[in-house]
Amino acid sequence: MRIWLASVLLIPLAIQAGHWSLEPVRRPSLPALGQAQQPANPIDAFVLAKLAEAGLDPSRLAKRPVLIRRLHLILLGIHPSPAEVASFVNDSRPDAWERRVDRVLDDPRLGERWAQHWLDVIRYGETHGFETNRERPNAWPFRDWVVDAFNRDLPYDRFVRAQLAGDALGDGVGTGFLVAGPYDLVKSQDINLTLMQRQNELDGMISTTGTAFLGLTLGCARCHDHKFDPVSARDYYALQAVFAGVTHEERVVEQQTDPALVKEQAALVNRIDEAKKELARLEALVPRFKPPVNARGNEETFEPVRARFVRFNIARTNQSEPCVDELEIFPTDSGKNIALASAGAKATASGIYLDGGNPIHQLGHIHDGRYGNSQSWIANNDTEAWVQIELAKPTVIDRIQWARDREGRYSDRLAVDYTFDVATEPGQWQTVARSADRPKTGSEARTKIDHLLAHLTGGEAARAARLAKRLAKAEQRLTEIRAALRRTVYAGTFRQPEATHVLHRGDPLAKRDTVGPDGIHALGGALGLAADAPEQQRRLALAQWITAPDNPLAARVIVNRLWKHHFGTGLAATLNDLGANGVRPTHPELLDWLAAELVSSGWSLKRIHRLILTSRTWRQSSLPRSEALAVDGGSRWLWRFPPRRLEAEAIRDNILRAAGTLDTRMGGPGFSGFEVEEENVRHYHPKTAYGPGDWRRMLYMAKVRQEREATFGVFDCPDFNQTVPSRSRSTTPLQSLSLLNSQFVLQQAWQLAKRLRCEAGADPAAQVTRAWQLALGRKPTRDELSDASRLVAEQSLDAFCRALFNANEFLFLP
Amino acid sequence: MDQDASNPTRPLLGRRQFLVNSGIGLGGIAIGQLLGARAAKPPFRPDIAPAKPYAARRSHHRPKAQQVLVIFCSGACSQIDTFDHKPELIRRHGQALPGADGLVTFQGKQGSLNRSPWAFRPYGQSGKFISDLVPQIGQMADELCFIHSLTGRTNTHGPGENFMCTGNTLEGFPSMGAWTSYALGSENDNLPAYVAIPDPRGMPQSSVNCWGAGFLPAAFQGTAFNAAKPIQNLARPDSISAGTDAATRAFLRRMNERHLRYYAGESELAARIASHELAARMQLSVPEVSDLSAEPAHLLRSYGADDSRNPLKAAFARNCILARRLVEQGVRFVQLFNGAYQTGGEGVSNWDGHKVLAEQYAKHGPVLDQPVAALLADMKQRGLLEQTLVVWCTEFGRMPTFQAGASGRDHNPDGFTAWLAGAGVKRGHTHGATDEFSYKAAEDVVTVHDFHATILHLLGLEHERLTFYHDGLERRLTDVEGEVIQGVLA
Repeated sequence: MRIWLASVLLIPLAIQAGHWSLEPVRRPSLPALGQAQQPANPIDAFVLAKLAEAGLDPSRLAKRPVLIRRLHLILLGIHPSPAEVASFVNDSRPDAWERRVDRVLDDPRLGERWAQHWLDVIRYGETHGFETNRERPNAWPFRDWVVDAFNRDLPYDRFVRAQLAGDALGDGVGTGFLVAGPYDLVKSQDINLTLMQRQNELDGMISTTGTAFLGLTLGCARCHDHKFDPVSARDYYALQAVFAGVTHEERVVEQQTDPALVKEQAALVNRIDEAKKELARLEALVPRFKPPVNARGNEETFEPVRARFVRFNIARTNQSEPCVDELEIFPTDSGKNIALASAGAKATASGIYLDGGNPIHQLGHIHDGRYGNSQSWIANNDTEAWVQIELAKPTVIDRIQWARDREGRYSDRLAVDYTFDVATEPGQWQTVARSADRPKTGSEARTKIDHLLAHLTGGEAARAARLAKRLAKAEQRLTEIRAALRRTVYAGTFRQPEATHVLHRGDPLAKRDTVGPDGIHALGGALGLAADAPEQQRRLALAQWITAPDNPLAARVIVNRLWKHHFGTGLAATLNDLGANGVRPTHPELLDWLAAELVSSGWSLKRIHRLILTSRTWRQSSLPRSEALAVDGGSRWLWRFPPRRLEAEAIRDNILRAAGTLDTRMGGPGFSGFEVEEENVRHYHPKTAYGPGDWRRMLYMAKVRQEREATFGVFDCPDFNQTVPSRSRSTTPLQSLSLLNSQFVLQQAWQLAKRLRCEAGADPAAQVTRAWQLALGRKPTRDELSDASRLVAEQSLDAFCRALFNANEFLFLP
Repeated sequence: MDQDASNPTRPLLGRRQFLVNSGIGLGGIAIGQLLGARAAKPPFRPDIAPAKPYAARRSHHRPKAQQVLVIFCSGACSQIDTFDHKPELIRRHGQALPGADGLVTFQGKQGSLNRSPWAFRPYGQSGKFISDLVPQIGQMADELCFIHSLTGRTNTHGPGENFMCTGNTLEGFPSMGAWTSYALGSENDNLPAYVAIPDPRGMPQSSVNCWGAGFLPAAFQGTAFNAAKPIQNLARPDSISAGTDAATRAFLRRMNERHLRYYAGESELAARIASHELAARMQLSVPEVSDLSAEPAHLLRSYGADDSRNPLKAAFARNCILARRLVEQGVRFVQLFNGAYQTGGEGVSNWDGHKVLAEQYAKHGPVLDQPVAALLADMKQRGLLEQTLVVWCTEFGRMPTFQAGASGRDHNPDGFTAWLAGAGVKRGHTHGATDEFSYKAAEDVVTVHDFHATILHLLGLEHERLTFYHDGLERRLTDVEGEVIQGVLA
């Protein structure tokens, strides 16, 4: 269990007024260049000026097959097809490159590639982490949201705002950002520890907001022993008040993305209401109907009765100890559930499953306002169990609702023989509802409408039948529309928080002054909010400050990130830290010029991509020149395009792509890279066999915290616990072993061999030539052809394909 | 070679190429300017051939130790319940810690002074008092050189593990083993220069950062495996014959070499070619070194590796035997972990005894005690202690008080214990001391940087000269601090 002590370890803001990154972004003028220097666009002018200072010359332009391969790998993460290479190489139009760039910028695979870069930064995972490391099955809509945002070039300022306060902007999935990080499901009995866990959750939100959007360390340094600084502590807790209402939870998100559907939904709701009213008039003419007991929900209605105690006596279930996910009691005069703990009601019971040993089955869950098996009560005996609600005060009630599992996943443990008794004084029980009044479960399934039709005659019966048919049709359509407009997403829930206190030395029990929500005053971030400002308004105000056009940080941080993923290193190498502990940019004017360009273009990231891609700097050859290597081994002055190994995702995706097995379906729930042992504490074992279900892009492999996938994890995959702005790029024998010996790669080598036989026939030379085009985007040289053909002839095509996936040329960005 | 390295006119090809390889490269400073810089002590730059990064390299001065074995107890093993005997604490059990009114430590307020639930007794000629939690290690007391006056910089586990393993509380800095294998390479061509052996229960809090390479070339990161969990994908697949495998690898090598002709001097590409070669050798050497079946039954018994009543102890014992075998094979740096976070938080599967220390340590003590004692005895018997430095350490210490309302100890970085044994260090010796309660280091106070400087010194390395340029600074394991602890040197 990681325990960060938030404020004892508070680091005073590692940035001072006057620091370069806090200066306003001013569009710098372009440097004067010598005659021999040929900028294709302003980016080149800045780069050439620095090269001249370092006494370096730029490299010549790369050849077309290299350019298109580099373009596809960087923007899409997938190499071009032989046909795409040929069409670009043979395009003689003067603007062939610009056309190709535009086409690739419109390719939806771009979002899949760049989403991963962002998800690394915000440590998005699809398990909770910590010791139980349970799955987070509804996290993926956020991943799809990020993919889609990059694809439709959602303006970056809106992208930021939606992640902090999308619920206020009709873009609710975006708040998945707030809860993207790890979450400790196991709550301690120790109040101090539980409060500390909460402090850590909030610290995660604060620090990720700081590093991701502002390039600043706002949270606690995990290890700093600076003395407590009252000013920064106040700032810190004011920021905490901004996030204090956010809880790690799933939320049903309405997506108002399709106006036609929204309109149809409203019309259907009206039509259904009317039909129901009509039917209710007819139902009043016949005896009352009661359906059989149903695991998903039951309503007990009775004559109004004054009650202080309501007891659910369960004589028998269909199987095992009874489970109730929520028991709701309604007064005659309102639709408000008065059984809730938050309404002052108390619950008692004959017993609790495992004596309360299972955190998901607790007595308190019976009236916590949350549905489903994972927040339910189970008794500790199969028969004669009971659960009782004592209302806050005696109230006249006429309706009770209860269910086994309103989420519909479980139907065992259902009470089938029961009574509801009420009393105003202890012991004076009066039965108000009983299972005996219902038809038996499993007996002829009589519906409410069958019941009605059986009792009506003539015109009334015909009218009821018509109404029923209309109602069923409308309800079905409404269900479809709701599914399209609503999603359950791990995007956090929001509540109006209690007041936030400054904590003395971070001790949650040592509360000091209260602080209202606010930004960082030292950075000019006063939010002007009232101390009790509505929760949503707090996040929105912070988001607006971060993305204000005059905030210099947001634009600098994101253009620096884009630059990094093109050239391998940011203009400022420390992507998450443009503060005093960060490294100064190599090309500060260029960084500012790009930041200014971003804001003036309406925050279009594709605009920045296009500028970078059409620069001469980007199109340089990556081949080394010994005299330049001797001066600038890291290629930081960009005398060439810096070549480098591809990331794990790109290696895996390109193996599948070359083999012809890549499943290009976008979006939706991911696949697992592991066999999951479903104990309370999840264990993830490497898969030993793979099938087409595993052959989607690696973006869609469920991101299990703390575990690295067996074959590709060794290629510096993060473990999604900490922000990773820039993956390390290691070279190890374990990588070699994975790519040579893993079941995954061997299977794909075999698939590629199959593809080659199919597309190139039985001739080894033809097979080798085709393989070179598919995997490397070029024709083999004579040496390569003869060497490879010999391997095919003497060993096998499979052996050759296995080698090809290990070739440096295949694994490197040229 | 070291003289050459300090000469600024020498073309530092190997080093420059590794700057390329380091992933981040130069932080905006031209290398010419960098090389012109004069430090008080010129940096030592190992001459590393990209294709042979693990070749053995010479040290700065004659080393006392050729190899290092670190035994790391994850979770902050309490000095008070193991090695730091405090009669005054026993006498004042139940009283308040003087001068600590309202003291708040990592998790909160402190209760009263609490003696260890385990009694201490003297061992060996040195008469060192050691607790009944680790009696078998006690039997080895005359081999050990205790440092009781260590001080750290953080009271949080992750940063604490980082600090002890890398000299920096943040993640992303090179570990001690990475610095060592960077400087010295390895005596064995067929095994990684640096092996980390995770606990049978899982990973330490800081996980792979404990054996990471940080900004050093990645080739110097620790390779992790243990006796139960071999390296994944190590074996040649059954479906591929040895002949086909060899022909395929030979073809791959030719293909990569042809490609390298275009990218002459590109060390990342050369390193990948080299990594294939090492991988092939590891396929033979790792199963061999991990195969404990040849170890005689009496030896397994001496380590507790056959203890069927305590499978956890048996599993850790097997890791201890593996550690000895790796040292025997010349692996430069071996890091053996005891305790994990993956399978249980606070104190459950590690030494983080906040709430129920007696109950938790009663489980952890026996897992550590016999295997480590046997490891020391076995290494001594084989003569390995003459060339190997054994280090026992943990991220920080614990409080002499119990936490308010609990029966365990909170974190305490102000005075804690480590011990050394073997090559170059005094035997049966104690250096430094804490105050009368083991609350704060009081005599011959040393820091983690001093501790690291001492380990490097024993390896023949000057900690101030073993540097690597990164982000505008010549970085060191010891940052800008550290003094060799002369008092422990034999």
